[in-house]
Amino acid sequence: MMRTMMRLVRQGFADMGLYPWVQVCTLAAVTLMVFLSGLFLITLVTLNHELGAVKGETAFQVYWRAGSEMALVEEQWGRLKNLPWFTGLKTFTPQQALEELGTRLHGKKASSEKLFPFLTGKNPLPATALVSFAPNEEDTERWLKETGEYLQNLPGVERVLATPLRDELGQAWRKAGRYVMWPTLAFLGLLLGLVVGNTVRLSLFARAHEIEILQLVGAPNWYVRLPLLVNGATVGLLGGCLALVLLRFTFLQVHSLLQFPPLFMEIRFLPLELCLALVALPTLTGMAASYLAVRGDPSRTM
Amino acid sequence: MIHVRHLSHTFGSYWALKDCTFSLEKGDFLFLSGPSGAGKSTLLRLLYGALPVQRGEASVADMPLHTLKHRQLPALRRKVGVVFQDFKILPIRTVNENIALPLEVRGLAPQQVVRRVRAVARALGLENHLETPCGALSGGEQQRVAIARAFVMNPQVLLADEPTGNLDTHLSFRLMELFKQFQAYGATVIFATHSKELMKRHPQAKILWLEDGAVRDANWPGARILKAPRHREREHGITLPPPDTEGGRL
Ligand SMILES: Nc1ncnc2c1ncn2[C@@H]1O[C@H](COP(=O)(O)OP(=O)(O)O)[C@@H](O)[C@H]1O
Ligand SMILES: [Mg+2]
Repeated sequence: MMRTMMRLVRQGFADMGLYPWVQVCTLAAVTLMVFLSGLFLITLVTLNHELGAVKGETAFQVYWRAGSEMALVEEQWGRLKNLPWFTGLKTFTPQQALEELGTRLHGKKASSEKLFPFLTGKNPLPATALVSFAPNEEDTERWLKETGEYLQNLPGVERVLATPLRDELGQAWRKAGRYVMWPTLAFLGLLLGLVVGNTVRLSLFARAHEIEILQLVGAPNWYVRLPLLVNGATVGLLGGCLALVLLRFTFLQVHSLLQFPPLFMEIRFLPLELCLALVALPTLTGMAASYLAVRGDPSRTM
Repeated sequence: MIHVRHLSHTFGSYWALKDCTFSLEKGDFLFLSGPSGAGKSTLLRLLYGALPVQRGEASVADMPLHTLKHRQLPALRRKVGVVFQDFKILPIRTVNENIALPLEVRGLAPQQVVRRVRAVARALGLENHLETPCGALSGGEQQRVAIARAFVMNPQVLLADEPTGNLDTHLSFRLMELFKQFQAYGATVIFATHSKELMKRHPQAKILWLEDGAVRDANWPGARILKAPRHREREHGITLPPPDTEGGRL
């Protein structure tokens, strides 16, 4: 029995050589399907990470009054860094702001005296700072209000703008994400299974005659199935692995493609569980399809 | 060994087999004869379970076919060797692999498989083709592969559907001897043929004459003969409808 089974498994591998083109086409179709699913998943994972990672990140745009004493402002900048949940600070002196403006207008770097000689000594631009926080508070609303008030009450500060936009999107995603993520994954899995299973099943039509003959000479179903299971599993496994290699390759080509403002998105590769699922699912469906191919009895016709 | 009672079979509304009744004992040899389309293949297909029993009863090698479960089919087929009218051999596999199939299905040890395949192949004159893919063989050689595959497992029951249809007279007479040998070893053989010449080579055999799906004649008392209804006209030969000459020849 054991020997027969080993022989059948070996035969399952050998038989794939009997219909090379069928196997190649099936493999290509499975690879394509897994690859497309993988691309979709990468998009989903990247989005999920982007929206989930900026947990409560809030930026405050702080404007000082024009003409404020720079030494005072700079001292305040130093103190901002000690605020709770502080993550980052971007500052512009009026001088820097003017130069930045000049660069935008003329497309090249130049000193502000050259660009705006009439503004020397009476720069109308304020000093500004973009302070980012990643608060982990029970009551985010209250923290937002308190921090905003604190910044507003700093000496010389004219205006404070809170920009919790990313955060709101993130919060919406964290709330809805579960309801989107799992059905999407389930649907994708179902689709992948159907397509791969059907492809493998079609490839077995080439062997329908053989299945019939085996049954006619008295082969029990497991005997007929075993080589086909090996065939289906191998095609699924190879297709899954091939697709993963292609995905990884594609990923390495494009992962830094979206790292420009204002997106600053880093494309993420699939986590290990999803990689495993992308190989396991086609393998299992390949086997299931082979199993079902022998469910009917083609030797028993009308 | 083979018992058939009131067995009928219909394809849609066409009755291919009508109320067949006969019995064969162990070691019997039966010529199943009759014109083309008489229902010979249909009867044999019923006997190896390729068609389900719709009406009547049948048993082969102590297995009742009318109550046979789907999962019992492999067991039936391991008792019954079949030479199919359309061979049913795998063209991309070698002669050796095709003949060995029934033995491998039974899980025989490899040395035994080799030994028996060799012996049968030699008896059928295929020993020089063992490694040839069956698709490359001539029709007659393929037919001998089909016969060898049925012989190789020494079945209790051998069903052969026109097994010498593609062979010349000389070779079919030689093969007839092999079938007789098989019978001598104790197997029950049903041999479908419409060759009177061949039937003369085995005068002791039983004969069942089928026509229009019904048993019209038999040479032993174990078969029930149905008389043809009188009002039915016998068709003789085939005639073409007269050519339509109205518009002249095309
Ligand atoms: N699967 C089928 N569907 C419909 N008619 C069939 C089928 N198989 C056989 N028949 C018909 O049944 C009749 C008997 O066929 P068969 O048993 O093959 O005859 P024989 O083997 O004696 O030449 C024929 O008229 C044939 O056309
Ligand atoms: Mg026939």
